[in-house]
This record gives sequence, C-alpha cells and structure tokens, in this order.
Amino acid sequence: MSTTQFLLAFFILCAAGAILPFLTPQRWLTILLAAIGSLAALVVLVVSAMLLAFGAEFHVTLWPVLTLGTLTLETDPLSAFFLFVTALVFLPVSIFSGTYLTKYLTHHDVRYFSLLYHALFASIVLVLIAGDVISFLVAWELMSIASYLLVNYEFERAESSRAGYVMLAMSEGGTIAVAIAFIMIAGATGGFGFSELRSVAPTVTDALRWAIFLLSFFGFAVKAGLIPFNSWLPLAHPVAPTNVSALLSAVIVNLGIYGIVRVNLDLAPTTGAAPGLIVLVIGSLSALIGILYATIQGEMKRLLAHSTIENMGIVAAGIGAAMVFVASGHQVVGAIALIAALYHLANHSVYKALLFIGTGAVEAGTGTRDLDRLGGIIHGMPWTSAFFLIGVLSIAALPPFNGFVSEWLTLQTMLRSAVLSSTVIKTIFAICGALLALTAGLAITCFVKVFAMGFLGMSRSQAAAEAREAHVGTRTSLALLAVLCVLLGVLPTYVIPVIDRAVVPLAHESATAALVPPFFTANAQQPENLPAPFLSEFHDLGAQVGREFLPGRGLVVLHRGEERNPVVFAMSTSYMLVALAGILVLIFVAFRLLTRYRGLARAAAWDGGLRHLSPGLTYTATGFSNPVRVIFAALLHPAADEGSTEAVAVHFRTAIRREYTEVHIIDRFVVQPPITILRNLAEVARRMHVGHVNAYAAYVLLALLLVLIVGVGLL
Amino acid sequence: MANWVLKGLRTGVKSSAYPNRPDDAPGVSPGRPMGTRLKSPTAADELVARCPTQAIARENGGIAIDQGRCIHCSRCRRHVGEAAAWEPGYEWAAQTSDAATALRKLAGMFGRSLHVRFVDAGACGACMSEARQINNPYYNMHRLGFFITPSPRSADILLVAGPVSDAMRLPLRKTYDAMPTPKRVVAVGACAASGGVFGPSFAALGGAAEIIPVDVVVPGCPPPPLAILHGLLVAVERKPPSALVSAAPRPTTGSA
Repeated sequence: MSTTQFLLAFFILCAAGAILPFLTPQRWLTILLAAIGSLAALVVLVVSAMLLAFGAEFHVTLWPVLTLGTLTLETDPLSAFFLFVTALVFLPVSIFSGTYLTKYLTHHDVRYFSLLYHALFASIVLVLIAGDVISFLVAWELMSIASYLLVNYEFERAESSRAGYVMLAMSEGGTIAVAIAFIMIAGATGGFGFSELRSVAPTVTDALRWAIFLLSFFGFAVKAGLIPFNSWLPLAHPVAPTNVSALLSAVIVNLGIYGIVRVNLDLAPTTGAAPGLIVLVIGSLSALIGILYATIQGEMKRLLAHSTIENMGIVAAGIGAAMVFVASGHQVVGAIALIAALYHLANHSVYKALLFIGTGAVEAGTGTRDLDRLGGIIHGMPWTSAFFLIGVLSIAALPPFNGFVSEWLTLQTMLRSAVLSSTVIKTIFAICGALLALTAGLAITCFVKVFAMGFLGMSRSQAAAEAREAHVGTRTSLALLAVLCVLLGVLPTYVIPVIDRAVVPLAHESATAALVPPFFTANAQQPENLPAPFLSEFHDLGAQVGREFLPGRGLVVLHRGEERNPVVFAMSTSYMLVALAGILVLIFVAFRLLTRYRGLARAAAWDGGLRHLSPGLTYTATGFSNPVRVIFAALLHPAADEGSTEAVAVHFRTAIRREYTEVHIIDRFVVQPPITILRNLAEVARRMHVGHVNAYAAYVLLALLLVLIVGVGLL
Repeated sequence: MANWVLKGLRTGVKSSAYPNRPDDAPGVSPGRPMGTRLKSPTAADELVARCPTQAIARENGGIAIDQGRCIHCSRCRRHVGEAAAWEPGYEWAAQTSDAATALRKLAGMFGRSLHVRFVDAGACGACMSEARQINNPYYNMHRLGFFITPSPRSADILLVAGPVSDAMRLPLRKTYDAMPTPKRVVAVGACAASGGVFGPSFAALGGAAEIIPVDVVVPGCPPPPLAILHGLLVAVERKPPSALVSAAPRPTTGSA
C-alpha cells in the first residue's frame, strides 16, 4: 500500500471514530474509541515510519481554491518525524481512554468526546501534512477548536470554562500573528504553497524577515507554551480530562515547535544570529521558570503542566542554538543542536504522556491528585508506581533513561558555542547553558518530590492508604510508554540517524557521522574517516563490543574534534546500562557473600523514639520543596496571608495559620499590567454611563454634531 | 580579638591530662564513701540508718557501700560517731556481668572513633549537666576519640541517665534497637544504675538495666565528668573498671 492509501485509511478511520459512536450502544462506546483511536495511531505510525525510515514520498494535490491557489498535502522528513511522535502518543492515550472514559459514561456524553477526539487527531495530522498556508491554517484552527472543546469537556464546571476560554483566546491571538506572518511571506509571491514560499523567502528584505520571525515565533510560542505565553498550560491541564491533558502536553505543544521550526528554519530561514539568540534566551528562561513553578506545586497535573513549559523551553533553546549555528555557517553543530532539540521533544512526549496517564491512574485509584494527601500508594498500586518511576527517572534526566540523552546533548551543544567567533554570543550561550543546567538540577528535586511524596512513605489520607491498582488497559499503555522511555534512552545511536533525516533539509548537513562514529563497521584496515590510532584506542576501550550481533553504526555517541582535541564529548547509555546491570549484580553478590555467615537484624526504622509514627509527622511535598521556595523567594514573590482562627485571647494565639500564594512571575509582569490598564480605562469610560436618558440623547446629539463638523471639514 | 591566636598559644594546653596522668585539680570530684571497718559495734547500724538510699550494708566488722545507690549526701561522712571513709578519686565506672556482653564488644574495633548517643531517660538534669561537660575544652572527649551523634543509627555507645520513667521506656528501647551491633550501654548516675532516689515506683522502672542490657555503670549523683569519661574508657576496655560494691577492707592480721 502506498502512503496515500494509508493516510486515506487513517482519515476514514477518524471519520468512523467520529460517527460510529452515535450508532452504538452506550456500553461499547469507550472500547470503540480505544479500538479506532489506537488503530488510527498504528496507521500513522506505519505511514510515518515509511516516510521517515524507508524514504517513501507523499504528495497529494487537492482542489483549487479561488484566488488562494491549490490546496496540497505533502510531507517531508520533518513532518514525518512529528507524525511519528504524535502517533506514538496517541496509541497509548487511546488505550488509556478506553478505561478512563468509563467514569464519564453516567453523566457526560462520551459520543461527543469521541467525535472531538478523532477530529483532534485528524486535524493534528492535517496540520503536519499540510503543504500550503491555507490548509495549514484551516487545520490549525480545527485543531485549536477541537482541543478547546476537549479541555472544556466538563463544561458545567466554572473553572473548566474559564481555563478553556483563556486557552482559546491565547491560541487565537497566536493564530492571528502566525497568519499575518504567512501572509507577509506570501505577499512577495502570488501562491500560498510551501514550496513557493520557500523559493521566495531568500529575496525578502531584512525588515520583513524580522517581522516574519517575530510574528511567527511568538505566534507559535503560544501553542508551545513558552514564556510569556505560558499562562494557559497550568490552567488548562488540571481541568481537562486526563487523556486530554496528556495530549495537550505530549502532542499539541509539539505543534508550536513544529511551526517554529517549519517557518524559521525551513520556509523563511532567519539570517544573522539575533533571531536564534532570542529563541535561545526565551527557551532557557521558559525552562527555568517552568521548573521553578513545577517544583513548588503540590497538585500533580499542574506540576506536570509547569514541567511541560520547562521541557518546551529546553527544546526551544536547542532550536535557538541550531538557528544561531546554522546562520553562522556551522551547519554540523547546528544539525547536532537540532537533533538534540527534536530528540528531547520526542522524549518529552513519551515520558509526559506516561506521567499524565500515571496521574490519571493515581486519581482513579485514590481520588486525589494532591501530593500532600497521597503517599505510600506504591503498596496499593505496585505496577503503576513502577512505570511512573521510569517516567520520573526519565524526566529527571537520569541515565540511562531517555531524558538524559537529549538533555545531555542539548547541554553539550551549548558548550559547542566555542566554535562561534563573537564574544557576546558566546556569553549569551554560556548564561543560557547555566540556566539549563540549573533547570536540570531543579528537575531532579521536583521529580524526587513527586515520586517520594506521592508514592513512597506513609499514606497521608485514607484514600491513599486504600489505593487500588489501575485497570489493565491503563497498565498496558503505561508499560508501552515505559518501554519506549527505556528504548529511547539506551539506543540513542539508532534514534539519532533517524532524526538526522528530518534535520538534513533544515541544517543542510548530516550530523550522523559527527555524532555516531562507525565503530561497528569500521576496522583498522578500512578506517572510514576515522584515524587508525583513534579507532584502535576506542577498540581498546571496547567501543566495538556487540558488532557481531547488532546492526547499525555503533553504540557510542561521540563528537569528534580536530587533532588537538580528538573527543569533544562522548557517552554511551547502551554500555552504561550493561555496566549498571553488572554493578547491581556485583552489589547483590557481595551483599549475599558478606551476610552469609552473619545474622541479619531487622529493626524498625529510627523514628526519633516516637510511640507511634503518624503520617502527620512525616515530610510533606510542600515541606520538601520549601527550600526551593525560600531560595527563589525573590523570583516567586509569595504573598503571605497570616491568620489565626484559634485564640484564647487577643495576644494568646494557640495556632497560627500562614498561607503563601504565588502569582506566576509572567502573570505578574506581563499579563496583569495590560489587564489593569484596560480595567482603569474602562473605569474612566464607565463615568459616561450616568443612567439618565437625557444624557444618552445628548451623547447622540454630540456625536451627530461631531460627525457633521468632521464631514464638513473634510469636504 | 585579633590576637586570639597569640593568646591561645600563651595560655597553652589547659585540658585535663586524664587518662594519661591523674587529674588532681581541685573540685574535679566530690569524692565518695568507701567500705569501712568500724570499731564500735553499734556504729554500723547507725550508718545504715542514716543512709537515705539504702546504699550502706552491714558487713562483718564494718560497712560495705553499694556505689550504684549512693548519692554522695555525705550523711555517713558527717556522722558524729564513727564516720565512713571518704575516697577523693573519680575512676568509678564498674562493669556489670551481663551474658550478652561478649557479643557487643567494641574493643579495638573502632579504637579512636566512637560515637555516643546520649539519652535522658527521665533524669533530673544533673547527669546531663555533667555529661555535657565532657564535650567542653577542659575534659574534651574528642581527644580520646569520642563523638556525640544525634542518631542511634550511627552510635556505638548508648549513654543513659535517669531512672527510665514510663514515658521514656519505649524511646529508650527503640534507641537501643536502632543501634547497630556491636554496641555498648553505659548507665550514668545512680538513677540509671539502680533507680536512685526515685527507685522503682509507679512512674519509673528503677534503672536502665530493667529494659536494656547495661555493660558499664558510672555511679554518682551526679558522677563528675571524669567519671563519665572513665565509664566510656571502660566500655571500650581502655581502662580497668572499678568495683560496684566497695567492701570493707579485710582486717590485717596482727594489727587488730
């Protein structure tokens, strides 16, 4: 079957998923959604694999639209990569939805959900395969509206409606900016096809180029959740159904990144370092601010939403670095940076989907998402906890899991700024690298908190103590994602060449040779671009281990420098996994040997000699993250509200209650001031409305007079 | 002051020389009664009656002192008639004969790095006040390789003071259980050794040995800092122990 037939099958499946629920009995609804959704995801997986790995082509010309040119659908490796990531998330999320949605069966219309779900999937795929501006914008709007309706699924709740409204408003603002940017590029030519835009882009003036960059970057940044347009994420995620939250964080924000890459590296590549630096700085700040607010959150979904801002910041920083490198003529380093960014994007999608589904499982098992009320649920939900742990280790960027590989690559490319000539740019890179390193450190604090406070220790509520293991469907989707986390982590040398295919058209250079040296295929006789002494040295280290039974180029990620500095950076999570497993076995054996002839005393953990250790005495999530809250108090600027409800007399209080509320730094400095100004203006304008009919008649008369005067003056 | 280094050098070492040389500085010990031979046959009865803690027992021809009960009230020393003999020293720590001791031996294992966990099991505060002194520059326990630790998980020696009140019963037991073997227990003061003036009562057990195995007893009410140091040294077998009951000296044949 050709790719066209496959994609047609996909759209037919989506249509079936949207329509069939209206013809099926209630009890089959969720199963139907899970079946059709995962089947559609499988089809997209196959298509994108064909496009990405086997070099298949896809190009369909649809009907022409009056004055706007012909609608076309086409893919390139970049869109194939995003398609693959999208389908990779949709598959487990669809499986999870099959069990998750049963809770809505009694008081919500799941048929409506199914319609929107498949419409969303279809519109996302359409965004990614759109070959011209019109179909892109139409699909983009469809996607925005479908995602808004899904977030607002529990529309009877006020906070859902409010969050959905904020999300829609911001998204539409972004779309307008993007549309203007597209029209600016298209203004130079008559057509709206991407290929026409590409050909005309090199001829546009610098001022126009800047306008296009700023409008498209900030327009797409709204979807990507970068600062200063991040406000919708922490609002929308907690109120959306959990499978929709997973899609928001793991798929929809990716589309923002897709837009940024598509416009600023493909259609109208930026020139000069400044645009790239803007993306880099915004990305790094998003990362830091995102993780800072994630660390102090106690509600799991809101925490994950802030963490999405962080991860998108890391991706944007990688893209910004790639833009700078490519624009300054360092194509290979640019390609490495872009690979790092796209790799991180894929990793983030996988582990964030895992964490959201895990959160959904925890909520289903305990009825709460508040870390301060959870604790000890590993006893009730061992499988969910194990999979969640893998997700946590991945997002905390610990080797050998996937987050480590991409964050490590991103940080390494920051250090590669040494190849640039300008000191100012190098300084900016150094500062952004430091911000990203701080982010990585805080991410560990944040996710140690999530796992330790949520899953370990003593249960802080009755619900947590009685946690029930998740449904087998949920566990299947979690297992799928956990396996992906491990595979993406331990097999980077197989992932990088695939992403490289998507990167080559943008960076104009392949980075496979620069990142994955052919230790498996090269030998001392035929060095394949590797100097013989270099090769033999690495053979001594064991870089060729596994060549007999493994395909591919090798298992070591290594960037080779010049003569003086042969290895710029190198690591291998594959061998690390083997070594870690070996160390684990060694520790176990040593432990058994040492305790063989000795008695093993088992005593209760030291609790300070308490008569009875109660959950109220143990560390809470709030307590765990409080040092971060104190250290960054200047940035977080918490407003303390001290009150006392228990008092014997005025000056004899028996209990003091102190509450801290943080208004997000972006809300405080970027969102609130314009709102305040508008409110004040409205307050001034309100004075006109005195409530007397005579006054309004006077206004009409005055307006008429004004019009007449102006009209006479003009004539 | 900027010249504190100079001042320190001028002052020189002021720490106690114990255990290398005996410390004879005035006031390092209140002293304690010893077993005494008495001439008058009624004197022993009078002394037994005068003792508020039943530390004095009649022995043929004199009295014996159970140091674990004595609180140095000096009533036996200030007796108008024949008084008890008074010993000015401070090496008072005695070993108890506990069957489990062999298993918990510390000697040689952590020669110069012993971590001590101090538990106040209902003490009046005097023992704590004295025990705190071994951490000061004069007695300076660190020069002997003893360190205070806040967690029993890293402690080798458990220092207990107080008669083990009901409230402290479980915490003391838990502390002992939380300590890794090999470990030793040093009971400080008359209360921890025997219940002291509190004795076994409705609110106290009457000694640490009632719930955990005690290896070394440091008598005194409170024992002076040097006696506590001696107790620690006895616990790790760096000093010979003294006897818990000081019997009356045997009559030397010929002189009597």
